[in-house]
Amino acid sequence: MQNIRISSSGIRGKVPEGLNINIASDFASAFSTYLGEGKRVGVSIDGRNSGFLLSDAILSSLSATGSHVCFYKIMPTPILQFLIKERQIDAGISITGGHNPSEWNALLLLDENGFYLNSIESNEVFNIYHSKEFSKKSWDKIGKIKYIDAKLDDYLKKLSLFVDVESIRKKNYKIVFDLSNGAVAKVIERIGDFFNIESILLNNESLGRFAHNPEPNPENASQVSSILRNFSFNAGFVFNSDGSRVSIVDEKGEAFSEEYTLPFVAKAFLSKKKSPIITTVSTSMMIDYIAQQFGVSVFRTKVGQSSVTHTMEAKDFILGGEGSGSVCIREFSNGYDSILSFLLILEFMSIENKTISEIKKEIPEYFIIKYKVPVTPGKMYGIIHKLKERFKKEKLDLRDGIFIKRKKGWFNIRVSTTEFILRIIVEAEDEKTALKFKDEIDEKIWSIL
Amino acid sequence: MKKLSDLKISISGIRGIIGKSFTPRLILDFTQAFSTYLGKGKVAVASDTRPTKNMVKHAVFSGLISSGNIPVDLGILPIPSFQVYVKDSRANGGIEITASHNPVEWNALKLVLKGGRFPFSFEAEEIIDIYQQGAFRKSEYFPMKEYEEDGFKYHRKRLLSFADIESIKKKKPKVVVDSCNGAASPYVEKYLRELGCEVIAINTDPNALFPHSPEPIPENLKQLSEAVKKYGADIGFAQDADADRLAVVDEKGEPIGEEYTLALAVTSYLKYKRKSPIVVNLSTSSVIEEIAQKFGVKVFRSKIGEINVVEEMLSYNSSIGGEGNGGVIAKDVHLCRDSFTGMALILELFSKSNKKISELKAELTQYYVKKDKIKVSLKESILIMEKLKEKYKNEKLNLKDGIKIITKNFWIHIRPSNTEPVIRVFIEGKDKSEINSVLSDILSEIESLRR
Repeated sequence: MQNIRISSSGIRGKVPEGLNINIASDFASAFSTYLGEGKRVGVSIDGRNSGFLLSDAILSSLSATGSHVCFYKIMPTPILQFLIKERQIDAGISITGGHNPSEWNALLLLDENGFYLNSIESNEVFNIYHSKEFSKKSWDKIGKIKYIDAKLDDYLKKLSLFVDVESIRKKNYKIVFDLSNGAVAKVIERIGDFFNIESILLNNESLGRFAHNPEPNPENASQVSSILRNFSFNAGFVFNSDGSRVSIVDEKGEAFSEEYTLPFVAKAFLSKKKSPIITTVSTSMMIDYIAQQFGVSVFRTKVGQSSVTHTMEAKDFILGGEGSGSVCIREFSNGYDSILSFLLILEFMSIENKTISEIKKEIPEYFIIKYKVPVTPGKMYGIIHKLKERFKKEKLDLRDGIFIKRKKGWFNIRVSTTEFILRIIVEAEDEKTALKFKDEIDEKIWSIL
Repeated sequence: MKKLSDLKISISGIRGIIGKSFTPRLILDFTQAFSTYLGKGKVAVASDTRPTKNMVKHAVFSGLISSGNIPVDLGILPIPSFQVYVKDSRANGGIEITASHNPVEWNALKLVLKGGRFPFSFEAEEIIDIYQQGAFRKSEYFPMKEYEEDGFKYHRKRLLSFADIESIKKKKPKVVVDSCNGAASPYVEKYLRELGCEVIAINTDPNALFPHSPEPIPENLKQLSEAVKKYGADIGFAQDADADRLAVVDEKGEPIGEEYTLALAVTSYLKYKRKSPIVVNLSTSSVIEEIAQKFGVKVFRSKIGEINVVEEMLSYNSSIGGEGNGGVIAKDVHLCRDSFTGMALILELFSKSNKKISELKAELTQYYVKKDKIKVSLKESILIMEKLKEKYKNEKLNLKDGIKIITKNFWIHIRPSNTEPVIRVFIEGKDKSEINSVLSDILSEIESLRR
């Protein structure tokens, strides 16, 4: 595995062998130079061990290059995105490894509306980063560094406009939260109290080692499941370390694939307000079923928060997300917000008076296979190119690798932005069809390799 | 010869101008080098009050954490208090962010080792070598930083047991103190009150800019002089930005000169504390020899640089010394230049002698000092120094640091600067017109040696 990756949303690597303090310093200097003089930059970390190491280097570099820093310390990325927009901050850096293992970290760049930078903007930052031509400010022009203990009042107030607080409060839900030792741990008690939720918090300590990889999926939900199997709770939620993703566990302890989060939240949201949906070429067709139910359309983009949210903005759609457990409601903020996501689900449960497992039954079960094929560096895009030839008889969607939709299912083959692998996702109405698709893809790839 | 780089890497640390050479990357690297040298443990971090302190401090934190050390953030702290903290808290070392008496656009990292002293030259060479090779220790675990609310506590404790509070309290001197809004600002007023003084503090706002250049030399003491006259004070004290140097103004508002800060402090020490050999550097006034003679103790002269004075104090078992720039060192408190120690000694002398500051100065011989410099290239300076040594080989010389020529009526100290492309010339004597003419002769002689 590679130790550092420059990708559309920022720079990501293993600390210290890939991402180290010199790289963090240069990258922050490049971003600050890109922003211009005297801008305010919000910075947060997600609670992993390398957080303060990198934030100290970044705070210093932002200041030296003339940006003023609002440092929120450990704070979920969606709340940083929210604060940037609400408080008219000019930009942001979220220092978070997201769903990556504990030794990884990343610097994600945010614009003045809390959006991830788009690919053109981040290209400019990378050009400055590589040129090392950073602005240097004299003693009276350097930026101020402020530590801020963000009060959640604004955030809770806006949440109250989007979800029916009283309806949730009345239910006095009992929930198991697994915070994956991440940033949501900092705010979950306040939010739980506000919505009258009785909760058990698992892995809610920051800056320690991770109890499990902070990726919301059934494998990492085993602690939550075991509690729900044995005690009486209404639901369980597993978060990633910056609070951009969440996965669901039902009241009986069954852990759902992260693919269920978007359809659940979409169902909850669309029952209140109609909107077309933006998702990616790598997301389950469960969302198409939900869209059909509500009579709205689905539009697919490249994978990643940057593509999804910027397409939402361009098309002026308010609902978007992807199969990794992430949802954005653009009227609320311009980022994937796991907190808003689980609250919309609770609201839906309370209004419809349904349990998690009952809601799941209303969504058709598809058969999905996610797997990866390791490839030699330098050969990845070539294989995709050759695969296009082999599938040329069909209608190809080439926005991110190859996406082919067939009668009973679909598949997507794309290049990973974090590892030297091809990511392949196959989904069909039944297992037999899915396996047939997989065999066909494997055969074509092996014939090229 | 073009201007030298503003960046200075030397025995006392690393110094540069913000917005030019003193960048986060440089600070990260230098901190990692020092951190690697120290081994793993707690490392104290403090700063003076410069507006660039937080920018520098966060890079220092990051560099320390990267190599597995635990930064202990002490906030704003004078350098002597910092050195005492490192010693008494048994920290592994420390970094103080201060450019001392340099103007506001400068900043620097001063390195402190276990025991609270600056590195000796061989230790500094080791650190610089690690820096230049980039051979930094990379930790896999990144410790959390710690915070210390009262970094002044150890220094205060030592000072209060050193000072003769009883005598000062009886006399209750009226003191004006000017901390230049520097690192002493949060502490000095309370300290002087605890000693038993009536205190008027000016420029003690750590959030304000330096009201004047932070070097405690007579031209920067105008505000203090005015205040001493206005309030009818007995004495005025001025500290530099990191509070290691002390200047004194007498009851008439006249600066007594930094050389006499040391002279009064040494007199007080020898008279009321104990007899001890004195160590001062080569450029310090001969008034020290007079005092030594009066008390029957020896004087040893070291190379320029605080750590060199300290090193010789250790080797001659001396407990009092310092530098003529207002840097008083008393081993009882700690082996470092300390304006707080200087104040305690001078206040004790004032209180017990029952004499005014102007009278105490008048008891000492008045020496005249002139300083000048000549621009030369780095290459030229070495040649010129060699030629001067040859020329004056029959005179009484001290060659520890440049050339010091000692005659009956005056001495001349000539040495290449390590901060600018210049040769510095110091001359001191009792006869003002004599030293003026000798100085101009020497300057033209150096000029002629250039070719």
